[in-house]
Amino acid sequence: MSILLNNRTRLLIQGLGNEGQNQIRRSLDYGTRVVAGVHPGFRGGDSFSHGNHSFPVFATVSEAVEETQANCTIIYVPAPGAADAILENIAAEVPLIVCITEGVPVHDMIRVRTALADSKSRLIGPNCPGIIQPASNCRVGIHPPDVFMPGNVGVVSRSGTLVYEAVDQLTRAGIGQSTCVGVGGDPIIGEQQQAILRRFNSDPDTDAVVLIGEIGGSAEQAAAAYIKRSMNKPVVAFIAGATAPPGRRMGHAGAIIEGEAGTAEAKIAALEEAGAVISRSPAEIGSTMRRVLEEAGKYQPPGGSAE
Amino acid sequence: MNIHEYQAKQLFKSHGVPVPGGGAATTEREARALVNEHGPDVVIKAQVHAGGRGKGRIVKRDRTSRMYNDLRRDPERYEGQISGRRRGGVRLASGVEEALKEFRPLMDKDSRLVSVQTGPDGAPISAALIEQQTSIAKEFYFSIQVDGANGQPLIVASAEGGQSIEEVNRTNPRAVLRVPVDPVEGFPSFRGRSLASRLGLPSSAIRPAGEMFANLYRVFIDMDASLVEVNPFVLTSEGTVVAIDGKVGLDDNASYRHGGYEEWRDRSQENPTEIEAEEANIGSYIKLDGDIGCVVNGAGLAMATMDTLKLHGGEPANFLDIGTVNRKDRVIEALRIIVNDPDVKTIFINIFGGLARVDIVAEGVVDAVKELNIQQPLVVRLNGSNVEEGRRVLHDSGIAVQTADELGDAAELAVNAAASGKRRPRSTG
Repeated sequence: MSILLNNRTRLLIQGLGNEGQNQIRRSLDYGTRVVAGVHPGFRGGDSFSHGNHSFPVFATVSEAVEETQANCTIIYVPAPGAADAILENIAAEVPLIVCITEGVPVHDMIRVRTALADSKSRLIGPNCPGIIQPASNCRVGIHPPDVFMPGNVGVVSRSGTLVYEAVDQLTRAGIGQSTCVGVGGDPIIGEQQQAILRRFNSDPDTDAVVLIGEIGGSAEQAAAAYIKRSMNKPVVAFIAGATAPPGRRMGHAGAIIEGEAGTAEAKIAALEEAGAVISRSPAEIGSTMRRVLEEAGKYQPPGGSAE
Repeated sequence: MNIHEYQAKQLFKSHGVPVPGGGAATTEREARALVNEHGPDVVIKAQVHAGGRGKGRIVKRDRTSRMYNDLRRDPERYEGQISGRRRGGVRLASGVEEALKEFRPLMDKDSRLVSVQTGPDGAPISAALIEQQTSIAKEFYFSIQVDGANGQPLIVASAEGGQSIEEVNRTNPRAVLRVPVDPVEGFPSFRGRSLASRLGLPSSAIRPAGEMFANLYRVFIDMDASLVEVNPFVLTSEGTVVAIDGKVGLDDNASYRHGGYEEWRDRSQENPTEIEAEEANIGSYIKLDGDIGCVVNGAGLAMATMDTLKLHGGEPANFLDIGTVNRKDRVIEALRIIVNDPDVKTIFINIFGGLARVDIVAEGVVDAVKELNIQQPLVVRLNGSNVEEGRRVLHDSGIAVQTADELGDAAELAVNAAASGKRRPRSTG
C-alpha cells in the first residue's frame, strides 16, 4: 500500500477560482478521481465539468462529504480564508487535507495545529505543491504531470519546484516515484519531513527516499534523528540555501536562518551523521539516487515489471 | 518584517510593559528636550534594523566596507566599548551638552552603522533612541517565538541575559528555560509569575515580572508577531523589572490585517532595489554581493540555483523567486530590475513550470531582450509545464541566448559567461 493517497482516494476541491479550476482540470486529465467541489455561492445542483468529467459543487464541506464520501480535500482558497477552510475540513472529519495556499499568517496556523491535535484529520501544507502518486494517477496538487513516472522512490520536500527538479532528474536517470510529498515552506505546517519519512519507511511500494530540506527551523534535524533511530531504507538528501545570507527570509516564510540549527551546514551535518547520503549539488540528486539504488540492488529499469 | 527598538518600546508601553523613560529623536531640539525630561544620565541608541549594534561602529559612508571587513575578521574587536572610543551604536552621556555631542555623529547624514549583520554598505541611522539610564542589579533574557515543530508559541527565558541566548545555550544549557504556550489558554499572569519565580527573581519582582510577561504575550498576539524578544530585561536596584531592550518581528503574511504594517515600516532601512522589486510586484527579491543576476520560480529552486552557481565557482547577484508566472509582463518587469543592477554581468533564468507556464516565461524573455535592449549574456534553462512550446519560442525568436536542459549544465554556462564578462569589460551603451 502506498502512502497518503491510493486508488480509493476521492478528491474534493475547495476554492474553484481561476487557478483552482485550471489545476483541477489537469488533475482530471491525469486520471484523478475528483468527486466534489466546494465554493462559496454554489448551491445544490451546481456542477463543474471538464471534458467527459463532471462533479457536483457544494456550498460547504460537510454537505460535500455527506453527499459524495470525499476522503481528501485540496484547498486553493486565498490566504485570508485558508485557515478557515482547513478548520472547516477538520470539523467535517476529512481524513487528509492538502493546502496549497501561500501566505497564511503564522498565528492562523497556530490555531489550525491546535484543532488538528485532537482531530481525525491529517494536514499537508500550507504553501506546498501537494502530493502526487503516479501509479494511481492521483495528483492532489499543482505539479507538472509530465515529469513524473511510477516507481519505487519516495520524495519529500519543503519546496515545490525542488520536487519537480529532483523528480525530473530521477525520471531522466530511469528512476520512477512511488509518492511525492511537498510538506510546505512555512514555519508551521501539518506533517513535517519526519512524519513523511515514517510513512515511507513502512510503505512496501517505496525502496528509497529523496529528502529535500532548506534553511530555517530544525525540521531536518528531527528528520535526521528519525533516520538514525528507525529508517531502514536509504535516504538521499539535499539542503537548499547553503549560500543564503543569515537573517533574510528567502522567499518561503520558513526559510530564514535565525539560529545555528537553521543553517544548511548544521542540517547537512545532522543528516550525514544519521546515515543519509548527501547530494551537495541540487543537480546531482538523480545520479546520487541511481548510485544508491544500484548499490542496494533496488534499481528497477523503466519498462521492467514494477511489481 | 523588523521594526525599530523605539517602536517595539512604544508597543511595550501601550501594552503595560515597563520601559525606561525616553523616546526617539532625529533633531537636536528633540534630543535636548528628551535629555531635559529624562536625564541627566542617558543612554543613546542608534536605531537601525540590523543586529550587532553594540559591537558595531559608526563610520562615515566612505569607510563602511573597510570597517565591515575588520568586524568580519574579529567580531569581538569592539566588545564592551560602549563609552571608550565612543564610536559605537550605543552610547552613554551625562547632561545635555555631552548627550548632544554623542547624538550629533549618530544623526549626521553621512554616518552609517556597521555591524557584522549590516553588510559592507552599513545601515543608515533612522533615529536615536534617548532614554534614562537604569540602575541594573541583574540582567535576564525573555522571548516569545513560534515553535514550528510543535505549532505553538514558545517562551524562552534565562537568568543569564544581556548576551546571545545561543551562547548561553552552548555554555550553560540548563540556564535556558523553555515554556511551551497553550494557545487556547494564552499566557496569563499566573503563568508569568511562575516563570518569574523559576528565574529566581526576588519576591518584590514576582508580581510585576509576571504581568510584564503576560503583557509581552499580548503584544505577540495583538501584532501578529513572529518574535518578541527582550534582551535584556533587568531587575533594577529598586527591586522592580524594566525592559531595557526590545525586538519585535512582524509576520509579513499577516500584514493584510494590520494595514500593511505601514506605520511600523521604515523603508530607509531596506535596500532600494528590493523596494523597487516589491513595487514592481515581481516576487521575492533579495540583493546579494555577486555578479550573476538570477530569475527563478520557487523559493527552494531559487536557493538551489544560487547554491549550484556557487558550486561551479560563480556568485549570485540576487535571490529572486518570481513565483507563478502566467503573464509575460511579470518576466519583463523582473528582468528590468535585474538588468538595471550595475553588479549584474550575466543573467541566469531558471524556470521549472508547475503552476507557472514556461512558454509564457519564454515569450516574456524574448520581449524583454528586445524592449530592454539587454546587453549582458543570457542563459536560460526551462523545464516543466509547456516546456516544448517554451523552448520553441526561444529558438524561433533568434535572440542571443544560451540554453541548457539540465540545472548543472545551465549553471556552468552562466558561470563561464560571467567569468569571460569580467575579462572583457563591455561598454554600456
